[in-house]
Amino acid sequence: MALLKVEHIYKSFGGVKAIQDFSIEANRGEIHGIIGPNGAGKTTIFNVISGIYPADEGKVLLDGKDITRMEQHLISREGMGRTFQNIRLFKGLSVLDNTMCAFDPRSRYGVPGSLLPLPKRYAEEKRGREICMGYLKMVGLESYAQEKPENMSYGYRRRLEIARALTCEPKVLLLDEPAAGLNPVEVGELTELILRLSRELGFAILLIEHRLELVMNISQIIHVQNFGKTIASGTPGQVRSDPGVIEAYLGKEEC
Amino acid sequence: MTLYTHILTQILISVVSVAGVFVLTGMTGMFSLGQAAFMAIGAYTSGILVTKLSAPIYLAWPAGVVLAVAVGFIVGLPTVRLRRDYISLVTLGFGEAITALLNRTTALTGGASGLTGIPKVTTLWSALVSAVLVITLISLFKNSKYGRQCIAVRSDELAAKSMGINVPKVKMIAFLISVAVTAYGGCLYAFYTAYVDPSLFGWKKSAEWVIMVFFGGVNSLTGSVLSTFVLSGLPEVLRFLQNYRAIIYAVLVLLIINFKPAGLLGEWELTPRNLRRIIARGRRVQQPKGVN
Repeated sequence: MALLKVEHIYKSFGGVKAIQDFSIEANRGEIHGIIGPNGAGKTTIFNVISGIYPADEGKVLLDGKDITRMEQHLISREGMGRTFQNIRLFKGLSVLDNTMCAFDPRSRYGVPGSLLPLPKRYAEEKRGREICMGYLKMVGLESYAQEKPENMSYGYRRRLEIARALTCEPKVLLLDEPAAGLNPVEVGELTELILRLSRELGFAILLIEHRLELVMNISQIIHVQNFGKTIASGTPGQVRSDPGVIEAYLGKEEC
Repeated sequence: MTLYTHILTQILISVVSVAGVFVLTGMTGMFSLGQAAFMAIGAYTSGILVTKLSAPIYLAWPAGVVLAVAVGFIVGLPTVRLRRDYISLVTLGFGEAITALLNRTTALTGGASGLTGIPKVTTLWSALVSAVLVITLISLFKNSKYGRQCIAVRSDELAAKSMGINVPKVKMIAFLISVAVTAYGGCLYAFYTAYVDPSLFGWKKSAEWVIMVFFGGVNSLTGSVLSTFVLSGLPEVLRFLQNYRAIIYAVLVLLIINFKPAGLLGEWELTPRNLRRIIARGRRVQQPKGVN
């Protein structure tokens, strides 16, 4: 069964039809790229899937469970991790604590444990720290655990966002323009990281990206969006030769 | 009792209330302009139970705190799902309603002339122990899972939700903890001054606490405690300046907001680790002198 199944979703904001009839089926280990010009509704697709806005029509199934009308934090707990186009880390918390926030909803102690030095609290905090350090290590930030995210470079902050999303233990990972603002070396490292995560953790990845070389290289399936509609979807090769895509988007690149 | 122990006791009672406001405003970024009303609920409930029903203090004080938390839950319920700004409006209205209610119910509360005859129980030492206890509880809370979640909610609600954080629940927990602590401050206060009247608990008091938290540092409990001492102590020290005190207070607050928008201490906390770092830095500065 597909880990993520999006069936014919629609979303409008007033007169703007941001998404019209978008469907996707992503399986374990797959990387799906979503490309399209600015304003094509790519981020809106992520926002509907992760529950920030409810879909007007259609269904979103996560590992067979209908999450279309669920609250955002519950969708996350069902196994949806995401990053944001404009990095949204928690200011005032260290790198480790930023990832701990994604573990905390699963931490098994309550309000009394938060106010009092109970043994359960320390055991759970230790368990959380170990899990989080594991994910920080995976993205190569383990030696920056006590650092403030504001003091880190853009590339490192992007990685921290990925580590935080991983701490949600996602079945589906949504990456919204993870390469934006990175230099070519960092893009190379990021590509490797995404491929390694996909191989080792075996979730489904949806990737919005403007850098075509990145998307074309690592995605098995690419969905091309334009003005809220899917104009093509298929393997990178198929999409590349699709006349509609060349006209709407890639044509500009080849000139 | 000398003047200084009197001032110090009052400051320590303020520390208790400001520590409560720190959880709400400093950590979670919610502004309550009716926080003093919860202090009033704590003060009046415990005061009335003891003076009118001659209840023992060890029952009256918890009753005051519990009632304040119960009322806080009802006030919080409609606001925690909304944007954070709305809680300022709701609590402002609620706070003024409580003072009006206290003024009207003369038979029970003594109305505008106040509730008198409360036994004087709070001493400098019990205020000190209370302040230390509350500070300990709240610093434990700040480093716990809910403490982190409060800071995450303040920083970015949308991202917090995307990480599985139940934002309304976290806001409610922060609100109720701050209400409970403030109400306890009210009990301490009533049983120190032996007299309370509604004018003590208006929105100005709540606003003063918010200023103290901001002055000290938005994310620093140490800063909130320090600024309570500075801002409540200052008017006493500057008593000889009479009415000019208010100007100095205002100028000081404006200076901090202009030149240190994150507050006096920003995010810095007095932890054993930070303390050791300061001492180490002090030694390093001294060493070259010794060599020369």
